[in-house]
Amino acid sequence: MYLMRVHRTFPKSRNLIHKRYAQVLQSDESEYTDTPEYPPILDLSLHARKKRERETVHKKIQEINTVEEKQIALNMPRYYGWRCVILNEDKVPYNALPLVQHYTRTCLKNLEKFPDIYLQTSSIADVVVQEIKSSIEESIAIENEGVEYNIVTNVDKPEKQQIENFKTRNIVKQINRIISNNLTDKVSHILSSQVDYDPRHEAFWFIGGVDVPNNVVNWRRKYKWLRDRAYEPLDRPVQYLGSPLLTIRNHLPLKPIVPYSEAENPEFNVPIFTYVPETVGYYSNFRHGTNIPGYWPGDFDEYGLLSYHGRGHILDRSESYGQEDNLEALHCQAIKSSFGWLLAQANYQGFTTFNDLTYPLVTQTVITNGHLISFYVYQLNTIAMHNDVLESNPKHNICFGTKPLALYDSIEDGKVKGLNEDVLKMLVQFYLNAPEEREHDMKPFLGKEEQVIADIEDDNRRCWLESRYKNIVANLPRHKLLPEIYLWEKIYKIKFNTRFFEAKRKPFEYDINPFKRRLDEHLPPYIPKVLRPYPRSRKKFETTYYPKV
Amino acid sequence: MSTRWYPIYQRGNPQLRVFLPNFWMKLVKNEGKQQSNKVTFHCSMEMTKHDIKNYLEKIYNVPVAEVRTRIAMGRFRKDIGQGYVVKDDDVKFAYVTLPKDMKFEFPNIFEKKKGDSDDDMKSLDEAKKSFKNYIERNKDRSDVPSWFSI
Repeated sequence: MYLMRVHRTFPKSRNLIHKRYAQVLQSDESEYTDTPEYPPILDLSLHARKKRERETVHKKIQEINTVEEKQIALNMPRYYGWRCVILNEDKVPYNALPLVQHYTRTCLKNLEKFPDIYLQTSSIADVVVQEIKSSIEESIAIENEGVEYNIVTNVDKPEKQQIENFKTRNIVKQINRIISNNLTDKVSHILSSQVDYDPRHEAFWFIGGVDVPNNVVNWRRKYKWLRDRAYEPLDRPVQYLGSPLLTIRNHLPLKPIVPYSEAENPEFNVPIFTYVPETVGYYSNFRHGTNIPGYWPGDFDEYGLLSYHGRGHILDRSESYGQEDNLEALHCQAIKSSFGWLLAQANYQGFTTFNDLTYPLVTQTVITNGHLISFYVYQLNTIAMHNDVLESNPKHNICFGTKPLALYDSIEDGKVKGLNEDVLKMLVQFYLNAPEEREHDMKPFLGKEEQVIADIEDDNRRCWLESRYKNIVANLPRHKLLPEIYLWEKIYKIKFNTRFFEAKRKPFEYDINPFKRRLDEHLPPYIPKVLRPYPRSRKKFETTYYPKV
Repeated sequence: MSTRWYPIYQRGNPQLRVFLPNFWMKLVKNEGKQQSNKVTFHCSMEMTKHDIKNYLEKIYNVPVAEVRTRIAMGRFRKDIGQGYVVKDDDVKFAYVTLPKDMKFEFPNIFEKKKGDSDDDMKSLDEAKKSFKNYIERNKDRSDVPSWFSI
């Protein structure tokens, strides 16, 4: 009895000893088999172990049931968000096409005439063009000369760009109204489609096969164990941000332009561009990765048909870039925006940058300023481009595009002169391209019952996930300031330790990198004592429902 | 070069004209791997993007597609002997993009010609030999300085 009082852990350790004996006694004959069964032989090198770790994370993300939880799971490793390369729709630096093509794995084909699937609608389109021609002419003339708008601009973007996009938006709205009004009784899918004005399009993915940034190499060289891995490839998070003028979406997806097997065709190979994006003129920023195709998960009309984009940013490009680069800038914008929208749609189908698409998705993109129109058809075949699948994934995305074509020659005395019917016909054909039901499962990586968090029955979990998801995708500035190292600290504390006698307070003094903090590394909300369940509850903090990845 | 101080132009200031301002540009190597139409310069702090573009186009006939600039902070170091922390001067970097069909290769200024290294080794051997001779000659009077001889 006296012994028991020696230390409070003693009774526990006595149990431990007992247990060990018990285990020895339990061994029986059933653990033997006729043929020896060995566990699989695993490569135990650091590289292979790290790869296996990543693969389990990708597997876990794949097995998550709902769309929103998958999106949170993508952001789990970073509390302050990923340091993403920002691809803005309307900011195209000089000679950006190779980078954009590599980052979206897109093969760009110049389009002389439309792909074959547009042929069958040719005859209807001719009829429609004749019917709507006069209304289109009238609306263009009125929007250009008949109405004087008081355009309010802000300082976020160049003024010229905002004014042109404002004018374009009005013309596009009119053209869309005229064409869809005419087509509603001719084809069924127009009536069932939804139209969005200025939706928010965002997409997030990881890109592999790019150079390691200089600062990472320098950082790795500081440590002995990292020195020979200084140039080890890393994945860079990429975020697309864009806002079309108008989009049309439907509950059925468009038909593929080329068969899915063609995606692996080496004819569609994409040039490799490994240089650091900062050298081209793109920059990076801390933010949570978001995938938003202009609606919330669970919306019925979840496949895009057509999107209109403004081309005001061309006006703000330097003259020294030249006309040829301006044309490439349009291609860049089309590739970025089509890929971004489709990737966000694919994410709502349960695919992520780690779990590749199993079928192609298609969208149509129109870039216009009301006068010049360029047409693009984009087929998304693959969205997995990180380093682990870089070599094993032979698929490419395909973009067919035209040069900017003039819709009319000029406007004189309030009349449109020389309306180009062929261009108008192409636009009508985009509307006539009917979506179709697919025979395969569209959401193989989502749950059977739970596909979005709205399907979750547990009230607490559903509400918590809903608010957390909305909070993450909002990317609002944080309430507390981000951790910062002041310059004086960098000089007198980090570079030269001249203040060694001071108390350590900041994270860098404890060798903590705050930007490596995980999303769930925070104290959950406190439950005040009066609100805890009766009679006694020791639970001080509310439950969190972060996905376990 | 003029003795006139070139003022930094702020919007709204009078537009002065300075002939032969104290402008200079120094070609440096690119940081890390970059496309072949990118060139990096250090330049004088007063130069704006427009100045850099004009400098290259008007003086050297180099077509320029785009210029980006940045001011890099100088290094902090301990002053030798004194132990104070001192800071080197800041440097203005100019990242110049040439048209995409152009190529720039950083010149190898200190190129070694053939036979250079052989000559170097020969003279080194000779020096070694003469030093050995000198030791050999003076081995009996090791504490006498070298200038003390006939």
